[in-house]
Amino acid sequence: MKILIEVFSAPGCAKCAQTRQALKSVAEELGKERFVWREVNVLQEIDYAVQLGVLAPPSLAIDGKLVFAALPTPDRLRTELAKRLERAGSRSAR
Amino acid sequence: MLTIGKVAERAQVTADSIRFYEREGLIRPAGKSESGYRLYTEEAIRRIEFIKQAQECGFSLADIRELLELRSTDSACCDDIYRVSVEKKLQLEHKIKALTAMSQALTRLIDMCSHDRKSLDECPILGALEAGVAKQGGKAPKAQLKMGAKSK
Repeated sequence: MKILIEVFSAPGCAKCAQTRQALKSVAEELGKERFVWREVNVLQEIDYAVQLGVLAPPSLAIDGKLVFAALPTPDRLRTELAKRLERAGSRSAR
Repeated sequence: MLTIGKVAERAQVTADSIRFYEREGLIRPAGKSESGYRLYTEEAIRRIEFIKQAQECGFSLADIRELLELRSTDSACCDDIYRVSVEKKLQLEHKIKALTAMSQALTRLIDMCSHDRKSLDECPILGALEAGVAKQGGKAPKAQLKMGAKSK
């Protein structure tokens, strides 16, 4: 099953756009086919953002759970995703 | 220059409010008269109007302080104000969600009451609060069952 990565941000933030791109590259490096990347406009999906506990965008959720209240560094995201891939791999091996 | 009374009259607030805003660091008098009274410029009225408007939008005094600081910071841009506003909207939506949950919990409790005027020991609302039913939305407590309360 693919891992869902959702980045919550408000439109028009140039700084967020740069960081988002760097994070997206991390997911792509680890395997494009293993992730679903979704960019969420908090103003358009405010109910969903509130449900996940997003308080100050940009934030990042993985598989429907808020994991990073503020955008992580590419290294931190790489570590988190690698951990999840490893877990998913050992589950499917069982 | 304007006295505190004049500013209060023009901005439609009390002099006490102005002193409060001053203590909170939101406005500052431009100077003092010879007899020691605070004196303000037209800018104070604009700031008070700004504060009142922002309060109506749900901004706390700390938020307003940040907005006022951003307003007078050369390096700040509309993105900064936009960010603060988006964050405030999210906070308000979180509060609305929490309040809605509270209201629904109260509806469940109110629905448990059968208006039988029994003793407080048998009150289904008190019983439900003790049993945590309101939070869980689960089954009715003993007291309610005893009273044969209506079920919806």
